Amino acid sequence: MRKVGALKWAAGRWDSFGLPFLVALLLLVFSLLSSPFRSVYNLVSNLSFASLVAIGSIGMVFCIMSGDFDISIGSMSALAGVLGASMVARIGGPAAMLVTVALATLCGFVNGVFVTKLRIPAFITTLGMQFVYRALAYIYTTNTPVYIKDPFWLSIGSGSVLGIPFPVVLMVLCFGAAVYVLRKTPFGRYVIAVGTNRNAAMLSGINVDLVKNAVFTLVGFFVGIATVVTASYLGSVNPGMTGQGYEFQVITVVVLGGTALSGGNGNLLGAFFAALFITYMQNGLGLKQVNSYWQYVATGMVLIFAVGINRLKSAILGQRET
Amino acid sequence: MIRFLKLYEKFGIFIFIFAGAVFLAFATPNFLKLDTILNIIAQGSYAAVVGYGMTLAVTSGGFDLSVESVMALTSVFLAILIPVIGIPLAIVASLLVAAFVGMLNGLIISKLKVNPLITTLSMMTIIKGVALLCAGGKMIVILQKQFMSIGTGKLLGIPIPIYIMVVFFGIFYLVLYRSSFGRHVAAVGSNENAVRISGVNVDVVKIGVYVLVALTSGVASVVRTSQALIGMPSMSPGFVLVALTVTILGGTSLTGGRGNLWGTLLAAVFISMIYYGLNLINVQIFYQMLSVGLVLMLALFIEGLRLRYLKAAKAKGIKV
Repeated sequence: MRKVGALKWAAGRWDSFGLPFLVALLLLVFSLLSSPFRSVYNLVSNLSFASLVAIGSIGMVFCIMSGDFDISIGSMSALAGVLGASMVARIGGPAAMLVTVALATLCGFVNGVFVTKLRIPAFITTLGMQFVYRALAYIYTTNTPVYIKDPFWLSIGSGSVLGIPFPVVLMVLCFGAAVYVLRKTPFGRYVIAVGTNRNAAMLSGINVDLVKNAVFTLVGFFVGIATVVTASYLGSVNPGMTGQGYEFQVITVVVLGGTALSGGNGNLLGAFFAALFITYMQNGLGLKQVNSYWQYVATGMVLIFAVGINRLKSAILGQRET
Repeated sequence: MIRFLKLYEKFGIFIFIFAGAVFLAFATPNFLKLDTILNIIAQGSYAAVVGYGMTLAVTSGGFDLSVESVMALTSVFLAILIPVIGIPLAIVASLLVAAFVGMLNGLIISKLKVNPLITTLSMMTIIKGVALLCAGGKMIVILQKQFMSIGTGKLLGIPIPIYIMVVFFGIFYLVLYRSSFGRHVAAVGSNENAVRISGVNVDVVKIGVYVLVALTSGVASVVRTSQALIGMPSMSPGFVLVALTVTILGGTSLTGGRGNLWGTLLAAVFISMIYYGLNLINVQIFYQMLSVGLVLMLALFIEGLRLRYLKAAKAKGIKV
């Protein structure tokens, strides 16, 4: 019995302490293995890189929590990015950045309308939109990258506040706001209710379609912010390359972070630590000169492994998980 | 309305094909020639073959996003193995590799109970990595020119891919509608628990489905690789969208339980007609992507409408 008790104790604390522990372990192992890895510069700059996935994952936590997926976010990022970046010359950097975020938010809203009005599983609807957005990005730019020369936009990725890189500050702010919305506002409760039992939520007077639509809009909003930061790092937006595989990274991070695929149960801080884990893992493997193709294999396996861990946890705690 | 939607499920795709054919006949000078028509059908053969597999998966209530990675892996294996063990053995071996990936998908979905989206999305990434690793990140040129006859040869004036498309249609028709396995697939799609309770081994059914999807991807890849004579580790990105589009446009219900194989075949030909038309007016290749995406959204719109009316009819007590 004591053994079962210990397992239950560990499983119950996995969400809060399991991932930070894994991240610490990973940092320790790679620090011992590789001297460039343990330099402060490398650790800090990868913390900034982690924000690209982490910020995008916030909306997806809400989305998966409400019981749906959005797999169009990579293309959404490319479309909003090329349109926003091409407007720098006309309306200036800051306004163009706002346009980028607004366009991504609009794409998210459009996804929400399709998902709620069609009542087709969201992953299929958003799979279709993935190709529509990507094709529009190609057509708008005739497949040429859009370069960003605006100093303000470029400073987003490289700037810092009190020695902390700006992307990290932005990431912390976004997570703070999201945690507040999830825990302290009626909207957060509605999302949980819709994800746990859609019919019960509807019968108790929640406007399910409105909540779902808001969730998809949120996905777009956070993808927009992540796009602005990514574009600032790269100095350009490429209609074909930008956001390629982004949906996969983000879903991996969200699931590894402990958000249940069955809905109703989200873990924002888990997604944050999972983003750190994935980013440092790729950084470490890269520094150890592991062929970059292995990283596809590693990331894919981490996702299946993450689902496995969540199932194991639920089984030990006696919860239902599908 | 319900009668219309039921008719649409069976014959809707004919309307699309007919409208497309009329448009092309007026808009282009060469459409009404046998060669052109055969070419269009042959071009639709890969989508049709992978579509059969996808139809089976959607009928079972799942689907498979890893098809394009499996195609890439098969293509790479063909290019590596043909010089070593000859063409026939290389085809068999690469198809076995494809089937093995399908089995992994099936095992993870049925035994570990991971949902099909996550499983096949992960498998897509893993297999893409494996294909790139096997090929060393490069395209591999196949020097054996005889291999080309599979994709470009003709028999009695008809391109060989059309025969492959028809033969696999026959096989899948028998599997889906005339075998106990096919009935189990449909039953799993409509009510998995009921099937499990009635003593059918659901896990075996699911593994069988994903093996068959992977096999169809492998076959499509053999045809494509033979046309290009190149083993491509990044073959046909976005092909999964085409496979899903032809399945849904063909009238296979996303709620599972009912597959429409005829519809899939015809929808593949329809998509091929769109490509032909777009090629003629010389637009950029991205418009093909856009058009397939839009056709999928249209098909989903009609499917959504259908589901809604069926629900309303049930609520009113009308028999459907």
